[in-house]
Amino acid sequence: MDLNLILQLTTSGFLLGGVYSLIALGLSLIFGVMKVINFAHGAMLVWGMYIAFTLMNWTGIDPFFSFAVSAACLFVLGYIVQRTVVNRIMTFHESMQVIAMVGVMMVLENMAQLIWGPDPHSPHTKYSLSTVWLGSVMIDIPRLLAFILAILIAAAVFVFLKYTDIGKSIRASADNRIGALIVGANVNKVYAVCFGVGAACVGAAGSLLVPLMPVSPHTGFPFKLTSFAIVILGGMGSLPGAMIGGLMIGVAESLGTVFIPSSLKQVISFGIMVLILLLRPKGLFGGKG
Amino acid sequence: MKKKMNRRTFLKYSAAVGATTAIAGVPTLLRAQAPEIKIASIQPVTGVLSDIGISMRRGNQMAVDDINAKGGIKSMGGAKLRLLLGDSEAKEDVARSEAERVIKDGATCLVGPFLSGNAMTIATLCEQRGVPFVMDVAAADDITRKGFKYTFRVFATTSKFADSMLFYMDKIMKEKNISKIRGVVTNTGDLFGRVQGATFIKALKDKKFPIEVLGHIEYPLGIQDLSAEISKIKALKPDVLFPVARPGDAKLMIRELYKQRVELQGIISPGSPGWYEPEFIRDMKALADFVMDNVPWYNPVGKMYKEVNSAFSKKFPGKYIDTNSGYAYLGVLVIADALERAKSTKPDDIVAALKKTYFKQDLMVGLAVSFDERGDNVNADTAMIQIIGQSIKVVLPEKAAEAKYIHPMPKQIWDRGV
Repeated sequence: MDLNLILQLTTSGFLLGGVYSLIALGLSLIFGVMKVINFAHGAMLVWGMYIAFTLMNWTGIDPFFSFAVSAACLFVLGYIVQRTVVNRIMTFHESMQVIAMVGVMMVLENMAQLIWGPDPHSPHTKYSLSTVWLGSVMIDIPRLLAFILAILIAAAVFVFLKYTDIGKSIRASADNRIGALIVGANVNKVYAVCFGVGAACVGAAGSLLVPLMPVSPHTGFPFKLTSFAIVILGGMGSLPGAMIGGLMIGVAESLGTVFIPSSLKQVISFGIMVLILLLRPKGLFGGKG
Repeated sequence: MKKKMNRRTFLKYSAAVGATTAIAGVPTLLRAQAPEIKIASIQPVTGVLSDIGISMRRGNQMAVDDINAKGGIKSMGGAKLRLLLGDSEAKEDVARSEAERVIKDGATCLVGPFLSGNAMTIATLCEQRGVPFVMDVAAADDITRKGFKYTFRVFATTSKFADSMLFYMDKIMKEKNISKIRGVVTNTGDLFGRVQGATFIKALKDKKFPIEVLGHIEYPLGIQDLSAEISKIKALKPDVLFPVARPGDAKLMIRELYKQRVELQGIISPGSPGWYEPEFIRDMKALADFVMDNVPWYNPVGKMYKEVNSAFSKKFPGKYIDTNSGYAYLGVLVIADALERAKSTKPDDIVAALKKTYFKQDLMVGLAVSFDERGDNVNADTAMIQIIGQSIKVVLPEKAAEAKYIHPMPKQIWDRGV
């Protein structure tokens, strides 16, 4: 077997896995606290991409700097979605929640198509084609930068949850909603902020992906599916699980193409997901079964 | 003495005016109204191929508008065409339900749907319902090999693509004194991609053509990361890449080839979208140069092409008639021609007229549209196009060529100063 190929695939997969992790982190955070699966996660990723893309076109600001704007906009969007939709369906059966969230996804996706059109855009940034070579292994600079920023953003989210008052309230609400209510936490606000933070994570991830792949209204779908697999692998609601799971799925998907046809790439992530559900349903880092 | 207009007088005059209008005016209006014939366009207007779907719907709609502007279907009293719109979302099940809906809404004939998988489901339904279906774009051979009576295809089949590709490759190899090419074939995992890739490889083997296929890589439609696939291609060290792509992955592929510095003599598609859309050249710039694609292209010297392209570009700035929008336009013209000769909207009359079609056109390369017993257009043809100086040129056949093809690529993708 070609060692260079294995090294190349591992590197590429690992770096993209960092962005997968950030996407899955948002999904896991929302599920962990509200027990609602955000089916609009992929569509939110697309909005993050388009905001960065638009800023780049209008002002020339690079997506690796404008990720903060994407994150802020998506925070607001997430906050609004939580207050207007999610808050009303939290006590409903999961199947009913799915319908509402798929509705949000369709609205967001089609709004993106109406606003930005259906054509895929691949904007050219100063370093979107830059690479460095370590021997015969290519390191894609935008992929490396996206990885570093994704890990830094994820670390910032951990710090926010661990050390800020609202972060502590989010963790308290996730652990015990009634308990949090009894001690005076404004649970509705906590939920809205939590959904906003989850959406901000995926918005930032969207921005980081702009130099890497074409921006189109339906880019988000495969990422959404992959992030579901990551969240189940890492453990539903487990944030470290989402991070480790993202890196594992990134490498597994990339390396898997050596052994199975690329058209079956997603079989790898879903195969891992099925195995985890059979052997360890709580996931690698999940606290509860 | 001035007569006052009171309520009773007003009512009297109103009634008189109303009655006059009812007796004389309205029938006049009705008499002036031409009957209307509904046809339906089903394209992937949303979903992963929405850019192509919208372009095709525009082609369908512009053809309907042009026919109506020229007096509609004259043999039926100038009946106007009305286009019912369906969106397949690039999904087979949705394509079928949309076809069901437009048939219920009174569509006498269906046109569409770009994707071969979608075409198969629509063709099956149209056969059950007895409604004519004209495929403007959809290439998989299998669709017309099921013995359908109501399905016709204006576009080229995958077999035709393969034959033309081998013809052009033979010419290129002979002229450039190339005895053998070592290639890698890639394709998307949808029905068209699979059939197109497999038919090309089978044609190479059957004809013992001197192109050795080192690898065949298939990846899912809508893929967002091709780094692993390009790493595999690089490891195989091919001379030429033969990709069957879609708009998004074509861009991903070029960028990854650049980044991973894959050395190639050429990128020659056996026939697929992705390489000729304005957005590909806009975003890839010099990296797009020297890509070749074997496609049913527009006829650059055709009068009809010039007129239609001029109107299309004016209506949709930044766009031009390409394979998809061109065939979408042509598909509706073929239906209108059949209606004109059938003088009827009965399905069997339309089918009978379609079978006898001989529609002269110079919008796309190839001769007049004419269907064989399977319903395939026997005269659908392809041209080899190449991006030269960030503009698309027909390079083969020579009779339609706008420029001489360039092979091998004079500069590698990663050596073009981008």
